[in-house]
Parts: sequence; C-alpha cells; structure tokens
Amino acid sequence: MVNHGLLLDLVERLAATPVGSTVELDVSASAAGGAAASDASSATSATAASRAEEAAANIDLIARWCRASGNELAEVRAESVVVRHGRRRDPLALLDPSQLPGTRLWMYTNFDCNLRCDYCCVSSSPQTDRRALGVDRVARLADEAADAGVQELILTGGEPFLLPDIDEVVASCTTRLPTTLLTNGMLFRGGRLERLRRMDRDRLTLQISLDSATPELHDAHRGPRAWERAVGGIRLALDEGFDVKVAATLPADQAHEVAPFTQFLGGLGIRPENRVIRAIAHEGAADSGVELTVDSLIPEVTVTAEGVWWHPVAATDESHFVRAEIFPLADAIADVRERFIRHREAADRAAEWFPCS
Amino acid sequence: MSDTAEPLIIGSVAYTPNVVTIWEGMRDYFATTDTPIDFVLFSNYGRLVDALIAGTIDVAWNTNLAYVRTVAQTDGRCRALASRDTDVVFSTVFVSRAGAGFDGIEAVRGRRLALGSRDSAQAAILPVQFLREAGIAAGDVELLRINSDVGKHGDTGRSELDALRAVLDDRADAAAIGLNTWEAIARGDIMAGALGAFWTSPEYSHCTFTAMPSLSDERAEAWLANLMAMDWERPEHRAILELEGLRRWVPPKLDGYRGLFEAVAAQGVSDRW
Repeated sequence: MVNHGLLLDLVERLAATPVGSTVELDVSASAAGGAAASDASSATSATAASRAEEAAANIDLIARWCRASGNELAEVRAESVVVRHGRRRDPLALLDPSQLPGTRLWMYTNFDCNLRCDYCCVSSSPQTDRRALGVDRVARLADEAADAGVQELILTGGEPFLLPDIDEVVASCTTRLPTTLLTNGMLFRGGRLERLRRMDRDRLTLQISLDSATPELHDAHRGPRAWERAVGGIRLALDEGFDVKVAATLPADQAHEVAPFTQFLGGLGIRPENRVIRAIAHEGAADSGVELTVDSLIPEVTVTAEGVWWHPVAATDESHFVRAEIFPLADAIADVRERFIRHREAADRAAEWFPCS
Repeated sequence: MSDTAEPLIIGSVAYTPNVVTIWEGMRDYFATTDTPIDFVLFSNYGRLVDALIAGTIDVAWNTNLAYVRTVAQTDGRCRALASRDTDVVFSTVFVSRAGAGFDGIEAVRGRRLALGSRDSAQAAILPVQFLREAGIAAGDVELLRINSDVGKHGDTGRSELDALRAVLDDRADAAAIGLNTWEAIARGDIMAGALGAFWTSPEYSHCTFTAMPSLSDERAEAWLANLMAMDWERPEHRAILELEGLRRWVPPKLDGYRGLFEAVAAQGVSDRW
C-alpha cells in the first residue's frame, strides 16, 4: 500500500531546503508519515516481499511527483530516496569554459626518457618501456578531436624526441589543431634537430622543462648538466622561430626560486604568458607532493597506449584509469565528463550531509 | 546602472532559506535599473508591518492578512503597489479522503474540518468566512485547528500539510488549504488514490507590495515600471520569478481583499500578530 503521507513530509522538508540542496526521505514500509505507517503491528507482520513492494510503490510515487513538480530524484537507496530541491546544478556549467573536460586532449606519445627525474609523475627513465601510442592512433585521435570539441592537442612523454617519427606524429596533429609538444629540450641535435626543423612553427608550441634560474636545483632532480642542455635547447628553439613555453616543477619549499627564475626567463625572451610553474604531485617516482585524486581533480582527458586516463599527472596511477577503449574519442570524453559530474554530485551530497557539530 | 540613486528598502519575511536567494536575485536585477533596492528580512509579519509603518523600510512584501492589518493600523493610508499574477487568482481548496463522497462545502456539516494556522488567511480565516457565507454555523462543524508557525501567515505551508496529515490519519474528515499547497502536492492526479478536492472557493487576492505615503509616487512608479519589466522569457529573470512563484508582476486587485476585511471584522482577528 502506497504511503501518500510521505509526499506531505517531502513537500514540507523541501520547503525548508535551499534550492539545489537535497533531503533524504525514508520510503520503507515502516516510514513515518501518513496513514500507511499508522498501524505499526501490521507493518511488523508484513512479509519481506510485501515490504519491498510497498517501498517500491512509495519510490514510484515520489518519482512521479518529482517529475511533475520540477524537483529531482537524485538517488534511490535500499529504503530511502534522495530528492533535490529544484533542478541540479550542472557541475560542468560551473566550470570556467577553458576547464571543460575535453577542451584539451593530452596524448602520451611514449614513456621512455633520456632522463630519470626523481619527481617524474609517470616514472619515466631510459629503462622504462616505450609504450608508444604510435602515429596512426595519434592521427586518428587528432582527426576525431575537432569534431569532439577539442580545441588544443598536447603531446607529452617520456621524451617525445626519442621517437624516430616524432615529426610525423607532430604533423598529424598540427594539420588538425593547434598543438603543444612537451620536451626536455636536450636532444636537438643531428637527425632529431632535423625532425624539429620539419615541424610547423605556426601551429606548434614547444613546452620545455626548466626548474630554476641556476643549475643546482634543476640538476639535483634531473641529473648533471641537464640545466645547461635544457637552456641550450630553449635558445635553439627560439632561434629556430618556435613559440616556446617554459614549465618549471617546483617543490613547495622552493618558492624563493620563483622571482629569480621569472627574471631569468624574461632574459631568455620567454613571454610572461609562456611561463608555467607547477607543484610536484605525489605520483609516479615522486615520494611526496600534492595528493591528487579523481574526486578532487578537474579532469584533463589523457590518452596513452593503455587507454584513457583522468589527468596527465597520473597516467600510470590505476585509480585515475578511465577506460581501455580510446575510440571513438567523443565517447571517451563523454565518459570522463559523466564521471566528473558523478564525483561532483557525490561530493556535494557529502558536503550537505557532513555535520558541523 | 545607477551608482548614486538611494536604494529602495524592501522588507520581507524569511519563511524559508530560499527567501535569501530570491531577494539577492531581485537586488541584482534592480542594480541594473535606475531604481536599485536593498532588502531586510524579518522573522514574522508583525515585525514587518511595524517596520513599514515606522519608516524603517520603504516597501513591505505583505501577505493578504499583513496588508489588511497595515490598512487597519494606518487608517487606510497605505497603498498596495503590485502582486504576482498568482496572487490575484488565489483560492482555498477543501480536501477529503478520495472516495469520501464529499461534493460541496455543505458536506462538512457535522464533520471534522482541519484548518491551518490561525493567522493563515487561506487555511483558517477565510475558510471560516466561507462556511459562514454558506450558512454553516460554528456549531455545525467540528474545527481542528493546527497552529504551527504562527506569525508567518501560513507561508511555510507546514500547518496546511499537517491538516492534510490529519485527514490521512483519520483525525479529520476534511482540510481547508491554499490552492498553492494543493497544487504543490497533487500535481495532477498523483494524490488521486488518497486525497481529492471537493470544493474550491471564489478567487481572492493574496500577497502584495505595500508602501506608506512617505514613498513618493514618483519613486514608486519608477520602481514599479522596472518591476513590471521583469520578463519570464529572459532566463536571468525567470530564475527569480520561478522561485517566487509567478510568471509576471501585475497591479494589485484590491477587490480581492474584501472578503478578508469582512472575515477579520467578523472573527475579531486582532490588528497585530
């Protein structure tokens, strides 16, 4: 027997609930409110099956009322429902448009690297398996990206210049969309320099890693003479006519390095908007750093040879793995967005539920 | 739009947390006009009317009973400015158990009728007046009065929901509630298996913005022009209008308060609460 008194409880509680917030309502056969709950003895003698039937009928009643009244049945639990006052806030609409998942597509071209940085978020090193995405998959991703709403492609590794076909990989991207290529800038010699020179200067930005204005800090994390070679790479790329961004990974206790570093970059000719400073994430080889979880991190859709990941900073962390199917890319982006919405809604509910005292 | 104009101060009763959202939205809207506003929230209509008469606020967002009382306390010097479209077609609904066989207001004779808060025009004061007009004397019906949230004139709806609970729990045979509460619950035929409306009153007027003569006609008219310009078709306006329960602002319908004036006089409802 359906319990219409539940609707009275719900309407009263929603009236005292801010729009956008939720209430949880007991819909079990023994729920308070209305005539159906007034006979406790009959409720206790009801069979489990009839109790389940009554709870289902109550849920149906609440669902029909929500549909008719413009409120949202946010969640159905075993013996209760969660109802939101009004329509849910769209977590995607609350983001800055540039943060919308899928605005950028990150691709890990490979995982092997000529360096073994002690804070590398994906544990790259000369001994790491290549796990290359391959030019065919990169080209197909780039093909699908524009239609899927992607506005920028970002290629990273590992060290992409270890790949013998990095110029083809980059060309498959720059012919479709503006592209950024992350590199340590240390390998611009011989055949690799020729590959760099074949890249489209109008459509490609090179993002070169450099951590400090002097060699000490940079080399302490990345290895001897790494700073000198990276700075050489920056100068060469600028001389070749490329747009160059510089990205520093800075431990929290090195904030005093920022001022001399930005001054140094200005001296190199790096524009202010092309200077990026990142925190160390506790991922990969890093034994400390910022803790990043899928429910606390706005996703940046990332593709590796293994599949789709939540964010490039955690592309070897199983808890950030989204799906093995890369194609169609639009489905992968939709999957990430849907998961983001679920995480945000769960966080909102937890915030509403968490008592202050 | 106006950086220098002195804001008009609007008073309202905080009967739900959403009142803050509504008035912040209204303040944002009027900030784009030449008649900016600010707002003050009160815990009950007695305090709101006191503040209007004392000049602490320029305009009060009054229930029908608060308007009637303002008229009574100011010898009619106050002025109704505007109402919601839903306010000028308000009514009271008598509800019984589905299948109870009630077919009109006469059916409550000799039965138990649940009423809402004693200061609720729609769920207490006017229902008694409707019974009186139908020739049903005080002794002809057993009234179950549910006085919850007195001071808010039934705005919370709590007493009306309690009146419906009384019907479902067989503590009353019928309940008198406002049309807005009935529509909020019934939503078509959702309550068809449990409750049904068997009588609806003639339409009367509900809330209205009320001002004292100290608010000049010029300021009032300029503000009203901007109020009436709120447009349901504009999403930024609609969000506020939906929360406040209207599609458009309209001039007040003063005829619609006549029944409440008579009821207040007949029942000896005091000028203050």
